[in-house]
Amino acid sequence: MKLLKLFIFTVWLLITAFEEKELASKWVIYKTCSLKVNGSTNVNKFNCVINNYYKPDTLSFVQNNQQDPVKMMGAMKLDINSFDCHNPMMTADLRKTLKAKQFPNLIIKFINLSKYPQLKGQHITGWVQIDLAGVSKKFQVAYQLIPSGTNTLQLKGLKQIKFSDFNIEPPRKIGGMITTEDKLDIEFNLHIKTINAL
Amino acid sequence: MKKVLLSGLGAGLILFLISYFGLMLGIRYFPELFVEYNNPLFNSDGSRDLLFFMHPFIMSFALSWFWARFKKLFQGTIFLRGLEFGFVYAIVALLPVMWITFSSLDITFLMISSWFLYGFLQSVIAGLLFAKINP
Repeated sequence: MKLLKLFIFTVWLLITAFEEKELASKWVIYKTCSLKVNGSTNVNKFNCVINNYYKPDTLSFVQNNQQDPVKMMGAMKLDINSFDCHNPMMTADLRKTLKAKQFPNLIIKFINLSKYPQLKGQHITGWVQIDLAGVSKKFQVAYQLIPSGTNTLQLKGLKQIKFSDFNIEPPRKIGGMITTEDKLDIEFNLHIKTINAL
Repeated sequence: MKKVLLSGLGAGLILFLISYFGLMLGIRYFPELFVEYNNPLFNSDGSRDLLFFMHPFIMSFALSWFWARFKKLFQGTIFLRGLEFGFVYAIVALLPVMWITFSSLDITFLMISSWFLYGFLQSVIAGLLFAKINP
Protein backbone atom coordinates (compact mmCIF):
# COMPACT_ATOMS: atom_id res chain seq x y z
CA MET A 1 0.00 0.00 0.00
CA LYS A 2 2.81 2.38 0.91
CA LEU A 3 4.49 1.54 -2.34
CA LEU A 4 1.32 2.32 -4.29
CA LYS A 5 0.98 5.71 -2.57
CA LEU A 6 4.60 6.48 -3.34
CA PHE A 7 4.06 5.52 -6.97
CA ILE A 8 0.98 7.76 -7.32
CA PHE A 9 2.82 10.67 -5.70
CA THR A 10 5.78 10.22 -8.04
CA VAL A 11 3.52 10.16 -11.13
CA TRP A 12 1.71 13.33 -9.93
CA LEU A 13 5.04 15.03 -9.33
CA LEU A 14 6.24 14.16 -12.81
CA ILE A 15 3.01 15.37 -14.44
CA THR A 16 2.96 18.70 -12.62
CA ALA A 17 6.70 19.26 -13.11
CA PHE A 18 6.48 19.06 -16.88
CA GLU A 19 3.09 20.76 -17.24
CA GLU A 20 3.32 24.20 -18.86
CA LYS A 21 2.68 26.81 -16.22
CA GLU A 22 -0.60 28.71 -16.56
CA LEU A 23 -0.18 32.47 -16.78
CA ALA A 24 -2.82 34.45 -14.96
CA SER A 25 -3.32 37.99 -13.82
CA LYS A 26 -6.05 40.20 -12.51
CA TRP A 27 -6.79 43.77 -13.44
CA VAL A 28 -9.33 46.10 -11.94
CA ILE A 29 -11.42 48.73 -13.71
CA TYR A 30 -10.27 51.72 -11.70
CA LYS A 31 -11.98 54.72 -13.21
CA THR A 32 -14.86 55.74 -15.44
CA CYS A 33 -15.11 53.99 -18.77
CA SER A 34 -17.01 54.96 -21.87
CA LEU A 35 -18.82 53.59 -24.87
CA LYS A 36 -19.25 55.61 -28.05
CA VAL A 37 -21.55 54.78 -30.94
CA ASN A 38 -21.21 56.61 -34.24
CA GLY A 39 -23.76 56.27 -37.00
CA SER A 40 -25.41 58.24 -39.75
CA THR A 41 -28.69 58.92 -41.49
CA ASN A 42 -29.14 60.51 -44.91
CA VAL A 43 -29.65 63.86 -43.15
CA ASN A 44 -27.06 63.85 -40.36
CA LYS A 45 -24.42 61.97 -38.45
CA PHE A 46 -24.97 61.03 -34.83
CA ASN A 47 -22.62 60.34 -32.02
CA CYS A 48 -23.98 58.78 -28.86
CA VAL A 49 -22.00 58.14 -25.73
CA ILE A 50 -22.19 56.58 -22.30
CA ASN A 51 -19.49 58.48 -20.47
CA ASN A 52 -19.92 57.70 -16.85
CA TYR A 53 -19.69 53.92 -16.69
CA TYR A 54 -17.91 52.96 -13.51
CA LYS A 55 -18.18 49.61 -11.82
CA PRO A 56 -15.02 48.51 -10.08
CA ASP A 57 -15.10 45.09 -11.73
CA THR A 58 -12.15 42.76 -12.13
CA LEU A 59 -10.84 41.51 -15.43
CA SER A 60 -8.90 38.25 -15.39
CA PHE A 61 -6.49 37.08 -18.06
CA VAL A 62 -5.44 33.44 -18.22
CA GLN A 63 -3.06 31.91 -20.74
CA ASN A 64 -2.55 28.14 -20.73
CA ASN A 65 0.30 28.21 -23.22
CA GLN A 66 1.98 30.66 -25.57
CA GLN A 67 0.12 29.40 -28.64
CA ASP A 68 -3.40 29.75 -27.27
CA PRO A 69 -5.28 33.04 -27.12
CA VAL A 70 -5.47 34.64 -23.69
CA LYS A 71 -8.75 33.82 -21.98
CA MET A 72 -10.39 36.93 -20.65
CA MET A 73 -13.05 37.06 -17.98
CA GLY A 74 -15.08 40.15 -17.24
CA ALA A 75 -17.85 42.26 -18.70
CA MET A 76 -19.24 45.75 -19.07
CA LYS A 77 -22.94 46.04 -18.30
CA LEU A 78 -24.21 49.33 -19.65
CA ASP A 79 -27.58 50.98 -19.21
CA ILE A 80 -29.08 51.85 -22.62
CA ASN A 81 -30.92 54.74 -20.94
CA SER A 82 -27.55 56.32 -20.16
CA PHE A 83 -26.84 56.96 -23.84
CA ASP A 84 -26.54 60.64 -24.69
CA CYS A 85 -26.67 61.64 -28.36
CA HIS A 86 -26.20 65.39 -27.58
CA ASN A 87 -29.73 66.01 -28.85
CA PRO A 88 -32.74 64.94 -26.73
CA MET A 89 -34.73 63.77 -29.78
CA MET A 90 -31.87 61.68 -31.13
CA THR A 91 -31.25 60.24 -27.66
CA ALA A 92 -34.89 59.25 -27.25
CA ASP A 93 -34.94 57.83 -30.77
CA LEU A 94 -31.84 55.69 -30.18
CA ARG A 95 -33.25 54.33 -26.92
CA LYS A 96 -36.47 53.41 -28.71
CA THR A 97 -34.57 51.79 -31.59
CA LEU A 98 -32.47 49.72 -29.17
CA LYS A 99 -35.68 48.63 -27.38
CA ALA A 100 -34.48 50.08 -24.07
CA LYS A 101 -37.80 49.48 -22.33
CA GLN A 102 -37.71 45.77 -23.12
CA PHE A 103 -33.94 45.23 -22.93
CA PRO A 104 -32.42 47.98 -20.77
CA ASN A 105 -28.83 46.70 -20.80
CA LEU A 106 -26.06 46.41 -23.33
CA ILE A 107 -23.53 43.83 -22.15
CA ILE A 108 -20.04 43.42 -23.54
CA LYS A 109 -18.54 40.14 -22.33
CA PHE A 110 -14.83 39.77 -22.90
CA ILE A 111 -13.89 36.32 -24.22
CA ASN A 112 -10.24 36.40 -25.23
CA LEU A 113 -7.26 38.37 -26.50
CA SER A 114 -4.77 37.37 -29.19
CA LYS A 115 -1.81 38.32 -26.94
CA TYR A 116 -1.22 38.85 -23.28
CA PRO A 117 -1.66 42.58 -22.44
CA GLN A 118 1.63 44.32 -21.71
CA LEU A 119 2.15 47.63 -19.96
CA LYS A 120 3.22 49.25 -23.21
CA GLY A 121 1.53 50.38 -26.42
CA GLN A 122 0.11 47.41 -28.28
CA HIS A 123 -2.37 46.63 -31.05
CA ILE A 124 -4.06 43.31 -30.52
CA THR A 125 -7.35 41.64 -31.35
CA GLY A 126 -9.83 39.73 -29.26
CA TRP A 127 -13.31 38.33 -29.19
CA VAL A 128 -16.23 39.78 -27.29
CA GLN A 129 -19.85 38.83 -26.95
CA ILE A 130 -22.30 41.69 -27.26
CA ASP A 131 -25.79 41.27 -25.82
CA LEU A 132 -28.15 43.85 -27.21
CA ALA A 133 -31.93 43.95 -27.68
CA GLY A 134 -32.27 40.32 -26.64
CA VAL A 135 -29.69 39.03 -29.13
CA SER A 136 -26.16 37.79 -28.32
CA LYS A 137 -23.48 37.93 -30.94
CA LYS A 138 -19.73 37.35 -30.93
CA PHE A 139 -17.40 39.79 -32.67
CA GLN A 140 -13.69 40.11 -33.22
CA VAL A 141 -12.58 43.48 -31.92
CA ALA A 142 -9.42 45.48 -32.64
CA TYR A 143 -7.88 46.65 -29.37
CA GLN A 144 -5.45 49.42 -28.76
CA LEU A 145 -3.59 49.22 -25.44
CA ILE A 146 -2.36 52.60 -24.31
CA PRO A 147 -0.21 52.92 -21.14
CA SER A 148 -1.79 55.57 -18.94
CA GLY A 149 0.37 55.52 -15.80
CA THR A 150 2.11 53.18 -13.41
CA ASN A 151 0.59 49.71 -13.84
CA THR A 152 -2.37 51.19 -15.68
CA LEU A 153 -3.64 50.74 -19.20
CA GLN A 154 -6.33 52.21 -21.37
CA LEU A 155 -7.97 49.40 -23.32
CA LYS A 156 -9.64 50.86 -26.39
CA GLY A 157 -11.81 48.51 -28.45
CA LEU A 158 -13.09 49.37 -31.93
CA LYS A 159 -15.66 47.51 -33.95
CA GLN A 160 -18.12 48.13 -36.73
CA ILE A 161 -21.43 46.39 -36.09
CA LYS A 162 -24.83 46.51 -37.76
CA PHE A 163 -28.31 47.10 -36.39
CA SER A 164 -29.34 44.03 -38.37
CA ASP A 165 -26.81 41.87 -36.45
CA PHE A 166 -29.20 42.25 -33.52
CA ASN A 167 -32.42 41.91 -35.52
CA ILE A 168 -32.98 45.65 -35.20
CA GLU A 169 -34.41 47.46 -38.17
CA PRO A 170 -32.59 50.77 -38.72
CA PRO A 171 -35.14 53.55 -38.16
CA ARG A 172 -36.74 55.15 -41.21
CA LYS A 173 -38.92 58.23 -41.08
CA ILE A 174 -41.53 60.05 -43.20
CA GLY A 175 -42.29 57.20 -45.52
CA GLY A 176 -38.70 56.00 -45.70
CA MET A 177 -37.42 59.33 -47.03
CA ILE A 178 -35.11 59.62 -44.01
CA THR A 179 -33.13 56.43 -43.58
CA THR A 180 -30.52 55.33 -41.07
CA GLU A 181 -27.38 53.47 -42.13
CA ASP A 182 -27.31 49.91 -40.90
CA LYS A 183 -23.64 50.25 -39.90
CA LEU A 184 -22.57 51.57 -36.50
CA ASP A 185 -19.05 52.18 -35.28
CA ILE A 186 -18.59 51.37 -31.64
CA GLU A 187 -15.67 52.30 -29.45
CA PHE A 188 -15.31 51.33 -25.83
CA ASN A 189 -12.65 52.53 -23.44
CA LEU A 190 -11.68 50.73 -20.28
CA HIS A 191 -9.18 52.06 -17.77
CA ILE A 192 -7.60 49.12 -16.00
CA LYS A 193 -4.98 48.73 -13.32
CA THR A 194 -3.04 45.57 -12.61
CA ILE A 195 -3.50 43.81 -9.28
CA ASN A 196 -1.14 40.94 -9.85
CA ALA A 197 0.49 41.17 -13.27
CA LEU A 198 3.00 38.54 -14.32
CA MET B 1 -69.88 63.68 -58.38
CA LYS B 2 -67.84 62.34 -61.26
CA LYS B 3 -66.17 65.70 -61.68
CA VAL B 4 -65.38 65.82 -57.96
CA LEU B 5 -63.75 62.39 -58.08
CA LEU B 6 -61.84 63.04 -61.31
CA SER B 7 -60.53 66.42 -60.25
CA GLY B 8 -59.69 64.93 -56.84
CA LEU B 9 -57.74 62.13 -58.48
CA GLY B 10 -55.94 64.50 -60.84
CA ALA B 11 -55.03 66.89 -58.03
CA GLY B 12 -53.98 63.91 -55.87
CA LEU B 13 -51.57 62.69 -58.52
CA ILE B 14 -50.02 66.13 -58.94
CA LEU B 15 -49.80 66.71 -55.19
CA PHE B 16 -48.25 63.27 -54.75
CA LEU B 17 -45.54 64.01 -57.32
CA ILE B 18 -44.87 67.44 -55.83
CA SER B 19 -44.75 65.98 -52.30
CA TYR B 20 -42.50 63.08 -53.23
CA PHE B 21 -39.97 64.98 -55.31
CA GLY B 22 -40.21 68.07 -53.09
CA LEU B 23 -39.31 65.98 -50.05
CA MET B 24 -36.57 64.18 -51.94
CA LEU B 25 -34.99 67.45 -53.08
CA GLY B 26 -35.52 69.06 -49.68
CA ILE B 27 -33.71 66.21 -47.92
CA ARG B 28 -30.91 66.29 -50.49
CA TYR B 29 -30.26 70.03 -50.46
CA PHE B 30 -31.44 71.08 -46.99
CA PRO B 31 -30.75 68.01 -44.83
CA GLU B 32 -30.38 70.11 -41.66
CA LEU B 33 -34.11 70.95 -41.83
CA PHE B 34 -34.95 67.26 -41.45
CA VAL B 35 -32.69 66.33 -38.53
CA GLU B 36 -35.54 66.89 -36.05
CA TYR B 37 -37.48 64.03 -37.63
CA ASN B 38 -35.08 61.64 -35.83
CA ASN B 39 -37.55 61.69 -33.03
CA PRO B 40 -39.50 58.78 -31.50
CA LEU B 41 -42.73 60.71 -32.16
CA PHE B 42 -42.42 59.71 -35.79
CA ASN B 43 -43.14 56.18 -36.92
CA SER B 44 -39.87 54.45 -37.71
CA ASP B 45 -40.68 50.85 -38.62
CA GLY B 46 -42.09 51.52 -42.10
CA SER B 47 -45.50 50.09 -41.20
CA ARG B 48 -47.25 53.34 -42.14
CA ASP B 49 -45.32 54.26 -45.29
CA LEU B 50 -48.29 53.55 -47.55
CA LEU B 51 -50.54 55.73 -45.41
CA PHE B 52 -47.95 58.50 -45.58
CA PHE B 53 -47.81 58.44 -49.37
CA MET B 54 -51.62 58.34 -49.58
CA HIS B 55 -51.93 61.72 -47.83
CA PRO B 56 -51.99 63.81 -51.06
CA PHE B 57 -54.98 61.80 -52.28
CA ILE B 58 -56.86 62.07 -48.99
CA MET B 59 -56.28 65.81 -49.07
CA SER B 60 -57.15 66.26 -52.75
CA PHE B 61 -60.45 64.35 -52.53
CA ALA B 62 -61.48 66.35 -49.46
CA LEU B 63 -60.49 69.63 -51.14
CA SER B 64 -62.22 68.63 -54.36
CA TRP B 65 -65.49 68.09 -52.49
CA PHE B 66 -64.99 71.39 -50.65
CA TRP B 67 -64.31 73.17 -53.97
CA ALA B 68 -67.46 71.72 -55.56
CA ARG B 69 -69.59 72.96 -52.65
CA PHE B 70 -68.13 76.45 -52.31
CA LYS B 71 -66.47 77.33 -55.63
CA LYS B 72 -68.99 80.10 -56.31
CA LEU B 73 -67.55 82.02 -53.39
CA PHE B 74 -64.13 82.23 -55.04
CA GLN B 75 -64.19 84.95 -57.67
CA GLY B 76 -61.63 86.39 -60.07
CA THR B 77 -58.89 84.90 -62.16
CA ILE B 78 -57.74 81.28 -61.87
CA PHE B 79 -54.72 82.43 -59.88
CA LEU B 80 -56.78 84.51 -57.46
CA ARG B 81 -59.37 81.76 -56.96
CA GLY B 82 -56.65 79.16 -56.28
CA LEU B 83 -54.82 81.46 -53.90
CA GLU B 84 -57.95 82.38 -51.96
CA PHE B 85 -59.00 78.72 -51.78
CA GLY B 86 -55.60 77.80 -50.34
CA PHE B 87 -55.77 80.68 -47.91
CA VAL B 88 -59.24 79.66 -46.67
CA TYR B 89 -58.11 76.08 -46.17
CA ALA B 90 -54.97 77.22 -44.33
CA ILE B 91 -56.94 79.47 -41.95
CA VAL B 92 -59.94 77.19 -41.38
CA ALA B 93 -58.26 73.80 -41.22
CA LEU B 94 -54.48 74.03 -41.01
CA LEU B 95 -54.01 76.76 -38.44
CA PRO B 96 -56.12 75.18 -35.64
CA VAL B 97 -54.63 71.72 -36.27
CA MET B 98 -51.08 73.05 -36.31
CA TRP B 99 -51.82 75.09 -33.19
CA ILE B 100 -52.97 72.07 -31.19
CA THR B 101 -50.15 69.93 -32.60
CA PHE B 102 -47.47 72.43 -31.61
CA SER B 103 -48.99 72.93 -28.19
CA SER B 104 -49.16 69.22 -27.39
CA LEU B 105 -46.20 67.57 -29.12
CA ASP B 106 -42.50 68.05 -28.58
CA ILE B 107 -41.75 69.49 -32.01
CA THR B 108 -39.98 72.67 -33.05
CA PHE B 109 -41.54 75.88 -34.36
CA LEU B 110 -39.54 75.45 -37.58
CA MET B 111 -41.07 72.03 -38.10
CA ILE B 112 -44.65 73.15 -37.50
CA SER B 113 -44.11 76.22 -39.72
CA SER B 114 -42.86 74.00 -42.53
CA TRP B 115 -45.95 71.80 -42.21
CA PHE B 116 -48.21 74.87 -42.32
CA LEU B 117 -46.43 76.23 -45.39
CA TYR B 118 -46.45 72.82 -47.05
CA GLY B 119 -50.21 72.40 -46.48
CA PHE B 120 -50.87 75.95 -47.71
CA LEU B 121 -48.88 75.35 -50.93
CA GLN B 122 -50.64 72.03 -51.50
CA SER B 123 -54.07 73.65 -51.15
CA VAL B 124 -53.14 76.56 -53.45
CA ILE B 125 -51.95 74.10 -56.11
CA ALA B 126 -55.13 72.04 -55.69
CA GLY B 127 -57.21 75.26 -55.88
CA LEU B 128 -55.48 76.33 -59.12
CA LEU B 129 -56.19 72.91 -60.63
CA PHE B 130 -59.83 72.90 -59.55
CA ALA B 131 -60.32 76.43 -60.88
CA LYS B 132 -58.95 75.24 -64.22
CA ILE B 133 -60.69 71.87 -64.61
CA ASN B 134 -63.87 72.39 -62.56
CA PRO B 135 -64.56 76.13 -62.76
